[in-house]
Amino acid sequence: MAARAETVPAWQRGKVASWLVTTDHKRIGILYISTALVFFILAGLMSLAVRLQLSQANAEVLSPDRYNELITIHGTAMVFLVAVPLLAGLANYLVPLMIGARDVAFPRLNALSYWLFFLGGAVLMLSFFAKGGAAQAGWTAYPPLSTQAPGNGQDLWILSLHILTASSLAGAINFIVTIHSLRTRGMTWTRMPLFVWSIELYAWLLMAVLPTLAAGLTLLLLDRGLSIGPWDVQTNFFNPAEGGSPVLYQHAFWFFGHPEVYIIVLPAFGIISEVLPVFARKPVFGYKAIAFSTVAIGFFSMIVWAHHLFTVGLPIPLQAYFMIASMIIAVPTGMKIFNWLATLWRGNISFDTPMLYALGFLSVFVMGGLTGIYLAAFPIDWQVHDTYFVVAHFHYTLFGGAVFAIFAGLHYWWPKMFGRILDERLGKWQFWALFVGFNLAFFPQHLLGLEGMPRRIYTYADESWEGYNLASTIGSYVMGVAILLFVVNVVKTSRSGARVGNDPWQADTLEWYTTSPPPPHNFDDVPYVTSARPLYDLRRKLREKSGSREPL
Amino acid sequence: MRAKLFLIGGLLLAAALTAPVALADNGGFTPVAPESPNAEGIRDSYLFVSIFVFSIFVLVEGLLIAFIVRYRRRKRARFEDGAPIHGATKLELLWSAFPVVILFLIGAFVFIELPGIKDVPSAATGDQLEIRVTGRQYYWQYEYPNGVIAIDTMAAPAGVPVRLEVTSPDDDVIHSWWIPALGGKIDAIPGTVNETWFQADTPGTYTGQCAELCGLEHARMLASVEVLPEAEFAAWLERRRAEQTAGSGELGKEEWEGACAKCHGLSGEGGIGPKLAGSIVLADPEAVENLVRNGRRTMPAVGSGWTSEQVEALTAYLKENPPSGS
Repeated sequence: MAARAETVPAWQRGKVASWLVTTDHKRIGILYISTALVFFILAGLMSLAVRLQLSQANAEVLSPDRYNELITIHGTAMVFLVAVPLLAGLANYLVPLMIGARDVAFPRLNALSYWLFFLGGAVLMLSFFAKGGAAQAGWTAYPPLSTQAPGNGQDLWILSLHILTASSLAGAINFIVTIHSLRTRGMTWTRMPLFVWSIELYAWLLMAVLPTLAAGLTLLLLDRGLSIGPWDVQTNFFNPAEGGSPVLYQHAFWFFGHPEVYIIVLPAFGIISEVLPVFARKPVFGYKAIAFSTVAIGFFSMIVWAHHLFTVGLPIPLQAYFMIASMIIAVPTGMKIFNWLATLWRGNISFDTPMLYALGFLSVFVMGGLTGIYLAAFPIDWQVHDTYFVVAHFHYTLFGGAVFAIFAGLHYWWPKMFGRILDERLGKWQFWALFVGFNLAFFPQHLLGLEGMPRRIYTYADESWEGYNLASTIGSYVMGVAILLFVVNVVKTSRSGARVGNDPWQADTLEWYTTSPPPPHNFDDVPYVTSARPLYDLRRKLREKSGSREPL
Repeated sequence: MRAKLFLIGGLLLAAALTAPVALADNGGFTPVAPESPNAEGIRDSYLFVSIFVFSIFVLVEGLLIAFIVRYRRRKRARFEDGAPIHGATKLELLWSAFPVVILFLIGAFVFIELPGIKDVPSAATGDQLEIRVTGRQYYWQYEYPNGVIAIDTMAAPAGVPVRLEVTSPDDDVIHSWWIPALGGKIDAIPGTVNETWFQADTPGTYTGQCAELCGLEHARMLASVEVLPEAEFAAWLERRRAEQTAGSGELGKEEWEGACAKCHGLSGEGGIGPKLAGSIVLADPEAVENLVRNGRRTMPAVGSGWTSEQVEALTAYLKENPPSGS
């Protein structure tokens, strides 16, 4: 290593400079995660302001324009700047380690991905200062509302998403090439960690659907009018007055938007499939079934998009098709859930913080999955579409699903990334605060939706909605406290966290074979992989050699 | 072990049987009490799905809790292996087939209910009323077959199927028509005419609101349907027709409250739009017409497609009731 260090120019060796120019997948992973956590806090604060406004009927905390800005940027940021990059960050850090590689296939492209993400995020957040404020048409930006919106907020929203699309595409290509070509000796497709399987599908889905989003956004931008030098471009793709169709955009958006849910949730599933077996001290139940269901979910997620369009007046046969296709996804998803439950069966379960989050994920994700059945059955959707029922549903899948899994992953891999374990006491307090706060915040929203409260309204006059709304607001602030506890935990751990060695959980996958944190080149050597649990095999061999019957 | 299985099975069965009863009590656990056959069909489908949703929920959460309790570490060593079980093909097949059966049942039930939800009852009984519903920033306009226009509050006859043609003007945005007690929602899309219907047998007022983000005052785009006994409705329609021809009556007030006051305040005191009380524009019918027909800066052209009767109704109302400002 000494020889290699000398080839690094002096100006790149500084503490800050070395991070700015890094092409190390581990550092880029940490950059992704830390940047996304900052956006998480910002977008979370936005939702707290929104919840304050909704805590009572006729409240005057936020003006309508400010309210619409906040819900738009909250939603956009949580999807594009928080959930996806947090998972991209974990994947960046872990995929090469899990497959026994030294780095991703294209380290510079990887750095470009991150910096594009940073730029896209900055554009979105700074759009609050644009003429007319930030975008106000919701994270879905349906025209004609979004094409008619005055000011530059909507244009910057489009620009930001274009940049983020480029970032994600570059990242996806990188993951695919890495997984296909850099697996270590012996790591066949059926010996690959399930998290890597989920990233494989995550990347293919991004490749398949992001271009459609980019196309839709470009048409939106052109419809809003564009001046390049002497040329004024003003198209009418979504303008019915000139023969355009506003619903066309909705198809383009949701052709991307629905798979996006799985782009977020599949890697979350992957984390759960890694964490559960380690803390139940068992191999994952039905490895091949879980890997197969990941592929099946990925495929079906691309042919169900119009269940988001059940109220636009699609012909009934089309609605019937999208109902059936959407319901089919329940089969592979159910497969995963039952396999995870079976993984716990006859295990030796310890309740460390990562496991608490994984179990918490299981208990709340089921709820999000089940409410999806109502939404897929199109006549029921006509009733609950665009109400708080839907808001509750997608927070159960995206927060209950993705964020709980991400916290499971962060607590699980933190000792690998930093050599220190996150404080278990604080971690458990944070889990319970988040679990209780989350259910208090989002369960009542199902009921509000059924009682007739639409989403995206900045105020309401119906006082019978106040009770559930107040409960939801209190829950959201409890969640705020939980996130604060996480920040305290991170600061505390970075100063005085216990060092716990290379493999504190006695885990099964290759990332635990190297040091914590790993050296820049990841491994000095990688064992030949003979199963999906290479470290378990190693431990067994050592045990046999030493003749000891005790677990190591 | 077998006793436990029976216990769990019994609990699940009890839960599945009591779920619909528990859900029938409205506390937000079921959709708003239906007052029209289509809303009823939706509610029934919801309850049918709920039986399965509730059972699966109890099954999965029950197994999760049971396994957590039963297989927790207790006094075993931290890293002692659990049972070396890698999977079971039969189980995989079983729990793949099980949801397929449930989904088939749900799908079948939906298709059985669908005609009752979707199709307007045939006009065999005689009359059927058609109303054109236009969503606008930020009010609902209703046009009756005889040319009567109403804003935000729709009058309808009890016991008669009412067919709604829902749309939005080309220069407007997408809205969504929704009165929960009278059925599901349908979007009001510029350039498209969608259809829905209701038939309310009980006279009363049923409320709802726009369900698709349509701009700043989306939250105030409320709608209500006032269901009147058939004779009363006929009288209402006659009276409104006569008033409209005479250029007087309620339409002007409805327009002020629906199209103006949501942004400018009920007494013109100002809101997200400027204060109107005392404005010289209001005293000038031509200026008012110009304003509502064309809009101004961020103000949408709220009356771009209005008939001259409609404009006159507003100016006449403003003349008699100039906004006081408080």
